[in-house]
Order: sequence, then C-alpha cells, then structure tokens
Amino acid sequence: MNKTFSYQSSIFFDEYIDSKSSPRKGYKRSIDFFHSLSPSERAYYTNLCESSISSMGVTFQLDANELQDRSWPLDLIPRIIASNQWKLIQKGLIQRVKALNYFINDVYNKQVFLEKNPVLKELILESSNFLPECMGITPKNKVWSNICGTDLIRDDKGKFFVLEDNLRVPSGVAYMLENRNIMKRVIPDLFNSYAVNPIDDYPSQLFKCLSEASFNTNANKKIVVLTPGVFNSAYFEHSYLAQQMGVELVEASDLYVSKTNNVLMKTINGPKKIDVIYRRIDDVFIDPKVWRKDSSLGIPGIYNAWKNKKIAIVNAPGSGVADDKAVYAFVPKMIKFFLKEEPIISQVKTYVCAFKKDLNYVTNNIEKLVLKPVNESGGYGILIGPQSSKSELKKYKSKILNNPRNFVAQPLIKLSTSPTLINKKIMPRHLDLRPFILSGKNSFVTQGGLTRVAMKKGSTIVNSSQGGGSKDTWIAD
Amino acid sequence: MLSSNAEKIYWLSRYIERAENTARLVNVNFDLLLDIPHDSVSDFIHLVEITSDLEQFNSILLDEKMFYSSSVSAMKNVVLNFVIYNSDNLGSITYSLEMAKYNSRYLRTMLPKTAWEQFNKLHSEFSLSNEENHSTEVLHQIIRNSKTFFATISDAMHRDHVFDFIKLGRFIERADMLSRIIEDQILRKDTKIPKYYENLQWMSILKSVNGFESFKKINKGELRRSNVLDFMVKLKEFPRSIIFCINRLIAVTKYLPNSENLKLKLIQIKKQAAKLNEKSTDKQILAILDLLQLGLIDLHLEIEEKFFNRSPI
Repeated sequence: MNKTFSYQSSIFFDEYIDSKSSPRKGYKRSIDFFHSLSPSERAYYTNLCESSISSMGVTFQLDANELQDRSWPLDLIPRIIASNQWKLIQKGLIQRVKALNYFINDVYNKQVFLEKNPVLKELILESSNFLPECMGITPKNKVWSNICGTDLIRDDKGKFFVLEDNLRVPSGVAYMLENRNIMKRVIPDLFNSYAVNPIDDYPSQLFKCLSEASFNTNANKKIVVLTPGVFNSAYFEHSYLAQQMGVELVEASDLYVSKTNNVLMKTINGPKKIDVIYRRIDDVFIDPKVWRKDSSLGIPGIYNAWKNKKIAIVNAPGSGVADDKAVYAFVPKMIKFFLKEEPIISQVKTYVCAFKKDLNYVTNNIEKLVLKPVNESGGYGILIGPQSSKSELKKYKSKILNNPRNFVAQPLIKLSTSPTLINKKIMPRHLDLRPFILSGKNSFVTQGGLTRVAMKKGSTIVNSSQGGGSKDTWIAD
Repeated sequence: MLSSNAEKIYWLSRYIERAENTARLVNVNFDLLLDIPHDSVSDFIHLVEITSDLEQFNSILLDEKMFYSSSVSAMKNVVLNFVIYNSDNLGSITYSLEMAKYNSRYLRTMLPKTAWEQFNKLHSEFSLSNEENHSTEVLHQIIRNSKTFFATISDAMHRDHVFDFIKLGRFIERADMLSRIIEDQILRKDTKIPKYYENLQWMSILKSVNGFESFKKINKGELRRSNVLDFMVKLKEFPRSIIFCINRLIAVTKYLPNSENLKLKLIQIKKQAAKLNEKSTDKQILAILDLLQLGLIDLHLEIEEKFFNRSPI
C-alpha cells in the first residue's frame, strides 16, 4: 500500500520516515497503525492512556512547592530501535561506564590519569564534586557509580552520540518500566505485532547489583532505598523501585549508626542491621557530620560506617566527580588509557574553556555553539547560541570570560525527531534516550531506556521538569 | 517493619475509615430530614457537632443570625459544604482524604498494587466532585470505594504487619466513631422532637452503620433505644458494633511484638462496654461512653509508644 503521509520529512533525521517521507524498515506497521486511526479513535486511545496513568498513580512533581502531583506525560507512538543496532550501543555503554569507574577510582587513589592531564587535574581538585574525604577509599569491585544513566542523542544522519553521563543519582528508570506497562494495556495489538525485548527484569538486576556492592559476608543482604522524602520530585521512582525489589524505602530518620559503626533501621521489632543503602540523595547531604552540616536528609556518622566497609552506599559518595561536563570531554582518552580500546560510541565534540585554545574558539564562534555550565543538570543554565539574541550572547560571553573553567561548549547537534501525538495530530518532535547501566561484578544495560521528547515545536528541551514528555522505547528485530 | 511506616499505614487506614463513616453519617442524616418535620435547625447542627467543631463552623458563617433563620435548603448547603469540602475543617471528608493521600504517598511499597490503585480511585473520584456539583452520589461513591479498598486489602494482601496496622487503625477509628454517634444521639434527646421521631432517629443511626437489616433479624419486635444500644455496643456478631471492633483489635495483638499491655487495655475497654444494660440511665450510658473514648485514646498512646517511637534507641 503506497500511502500518502501527512507527516513529512524535514532537515532533521526522523526515526520513522526517510528523506522521501517513506517509512523506514520496521516502522511501517507502527506509523500505519497511528495514521489509520480516526480522530475519535485517537481521542479514545489518548484518554485510555491518560486514565491508565492516573489509576496506576504514575506521577511526578515539578518542585517541592507544588503539592499536587502531575500525571506522567507519555506519548503513545513508540520509539523503535533495531536490536542488532542496540547490541552495539550496549557494548559501547558498558565500555564507557567501565572507563569512568576506573577514572573515579584513580581520582580518589593514585591519580595516574590526572598526572597525565594537568588541566583536568586542576579542574577536578577545584571542583565542588570532588570530595577529599573519599581519598584512599575503594568500593567493592572498584565500582563507584553502580547505576549510571547515560543520555544518547542522534544527529541529522541518525548516528548515535553520548550527550552526557549521569553518575550520581540518575532518575527515570521507573518511568521507563511504567511506560511499558501502560503501552501493553493501551495498544496491546500493535505491541504484539513487534517482537519487543522485555525490560521488566530491571528491578531484579538492580537488586543483584546492589547486593554485590556489599563487603559483608552474610548471604541475604539487607538493602534499603534512601529517599529525601515524599516531596522530592523523584519520590514516585524511589518508592516504585523499593517495591519492585521488595526492599524497605527509608528516610534518614529511619536509620542511625551504632557505636560499632553498624547502620541500623528502626522497626516495630526494634533495630535491624542493614548492608546496602541505595541512596537517592546527593553526595554532600549523606552525612551532616562530614559534608553539609545543615543536611537533615543524611545520617550522622554514616561516612565512618562506609569508610570501614560496614555499609555499602550506592552510588558511592564522591562519584559525582565524573558527572562534571568538563570530565566528559576526557572520556575518549580514559577509554584508551584504562581499557586500551577505541570508543565504540561517539560523543559530541566538546570545547573545555579551561584550555586557552578552546576558550579562543568558543568566544569567536559563540553564536554557533551550545554553552553549558559544568556543574548544572536538568538543562538549567544552558545557552543555545544559534537561538539567542546578540545581547544574550554578549552577556554569556562575559560570564565565560569571567570564569572560563566553569564552562564548556559544543556544536549544536540537529537532534533527531519522531512522530508524536500533539493535540490528536501527528507531528515531528525532538527526542533523546536515557539507557541505564548497572555495574557490579558484571555489567548490565537496559533494553532501550527512557525516551524523552520535547513537546513544543522546534524545542530540544526534553526534561520533564521543563514540560518534556516521554515515549516507550522498543528494541525489536 | 519500619516504625515510621507502621505509623503511616495506621493513619491511612484511620482516615479512610473516618471518611467513610462521615459519608455514612451525612447520608443518613439527610435521608432522615426527608421524614421528620423541617422546623428544627438542630439536625443540621447535630451533624456538625458529631463530625466537626461547632465553634469553627459558626466562625465561617458570614452572618450567624441570618444563617440560623435561613431556609432549610440554604442551610443544608452550608452544612454539607462544611462537613464534606471545607479543608480547614479537620473533621471534613476532604481533610480526611487529603491526610490519607499524604500518608499513602509513602506507602506504595507497602500496599498491594490493586489496593493502591483503588485508593487512588477513591481519592481522585472524590476530588472531581466539588461544592457546586455534589449530590448524595458523592457520598455513596466514597462508601463504595472505601469498602472496595478494604475488601481488596482482605482479599489480596499478604498477612503481615502492614495488614495488622491497617486493622488497628480501622477498628480503633470505627469504635471511636460509633461511640460518638451514640453519645450524640443520647445528648440530643432534649430537643423538641416528639417521641415518634426519636425512634426514627435511632433507625437512621442503625442505617448509618448498615445495621438496620441485621437488627431487624434479631429484634423482631419494636425498635427501642435499649435494644438498639445493645445491638450497637455489645453484639459481637455485628461488624459495626463496639465489641466487634474491640474483639478484632484483641485478635491483632496476637501478631504484634510487645503487645501484652495493649491486650490488657483492650480487655479493660471490653469490660467497660459490657456494663451497659437495659436499665442504664442516660447518665450511666454517657459515663460508659466517656470511659470507652478515654480508653481508645489511651490505646492510641500505647500504640504510639510501642511501635511508632522514632527517636534513636
């Protein structure tokens, strides 16, 4: 059937259609399905999707001031990636995270790599993400970031790139899992027509990964998920993961450290010893005796318990040192240095303004570049050169010149698009992908990940905190 | 089980039970108003007194005098809105369900998924109603959804401590509400409603606890205050009698650690309730109910101390 699509190709790489607006291999069934729906059927599916989300209680919060939860935004048109293509990406992600973990361990121990890269060394030692208290410590299996969320994008040729690595407390995996459950409820027939790789073993893989992080020798490790509390924007995910793993979800006030450096949990039967904390609070809030004194989210004395290997903290405190956007620029070097391998996945060319040469290039070409502060996440503080006014560029330039170390710049990647339901119409929208990589004795990568999609026309801001949506990601043959 | 979770699950259960009981009470009272002479304010006010704080209610009225001389339908709306929707009113259904929601946020890891979804349904369906569009259907909906929630718990839930604390919360709340309903009915006897209507009121109370049919089964004869009281306080076979609640609480203590004291206190309460008999005067009944309520408060404090204590040990 040669159907005329109302959905047309553009200058961007579209994941569903080629430059002649014909569906790519493997996408035809899906696009035909959505095209064949009448407006009332589209409304029916959209409503079914929304009511499933609300009855399943899949919500998120924008910030602590907003007491009302928002329903999670899921777009019904799935993103599809061929499984042989995904296999290579999985390999590349494992390679990358392995190198990053070696790097963090090196930073807190011998600093061999830093010695070879003096500019990086200077940046690291000055970084607020570098925690000197972690010097000399090596977590189990030398893994600091057991759970990593790496953001991938595709350019105008469809090639995958790493955009950034989230090595501290990456979030989104619960939404990945729930997106799949919703899709199975709402469009089972289309789902069934693809042989989609399952993703629901993530919680058991996570459980295994957490167990492996403990130095304790008891057979059944007692694991807890530590949340800042119900008003955290990712609370839904914290409780979801705890439930799926069958472990307790705790807040700092549920835990305390004994004189013998054991970490105990308060229960109706009295105190109970625990082995592993999957912490969902930032490094510096973990122990008010060592880092942020004003932290009520942390457990006084837990640093000592961790240092003495009585408790495993996952991800390890200090792992944020590699979260820095300046560190990102050095990852290809790390892969070569620690693994003696060539990087499997490309990454975006990054100008580190701490280098004189890079700074010159950036200030002369600012209108072509995307500028990022090194220590921000969630898409905050970013300036997109080609979309900014002259005065904005000028202001930003002086910010950079004031403190070059604080900035990196990248060329603007023309992010790929995918058809997305907007007000019951099918429109192209930009997207990215966050797979999750688990590291313990072995490594594990999710089948696909959380696809985030910018809901506004032309926008590349995919963060749910800034109005982004999401898609289910299908790895299929 | 975490002490903090035990506390939250206990309160979740109490607040859902409270919302349901309040919905029953409001519903039956307005049913009753269709039957009795409409010249008395006391029935509206009685509803406020039993669920909420009358002083607070009077303080929200723009003009107290005008309110008490306004038409029945105008009065009805003001009272309904206060008891159902006023979120500043700690006795309102909205307040109970918001508190339940607050506690439920923490409990995703504790409840069976079906029960969690059922609670969300209860909360979101109620949230869709508001002061402008409500009808008695809203109340029926709460009662139905709450029943389904607890039925789901009974049906789908692993018998662990979470289950025990749901029961603790639910039956303490129910016993407390029952004692307050009875107390209130005794107290309002001095209003000018004729004897005939007094029996109608007792009947409405039986209906509010879903007990009218069972009552009729075992009391073939006329409906008298003494046999209604006996039914609601002492009938151990009826799920909405005080003794039934106490027996269920005693049964739960079997499964809880360090609960000897709790059990002793419950037996004490049971003894109090058993003192009620056909010859009890109003004064004696009120004294018994008073001790019952104090006993329930004491019970709650014991639970707090034994299980919810969150300070380092």
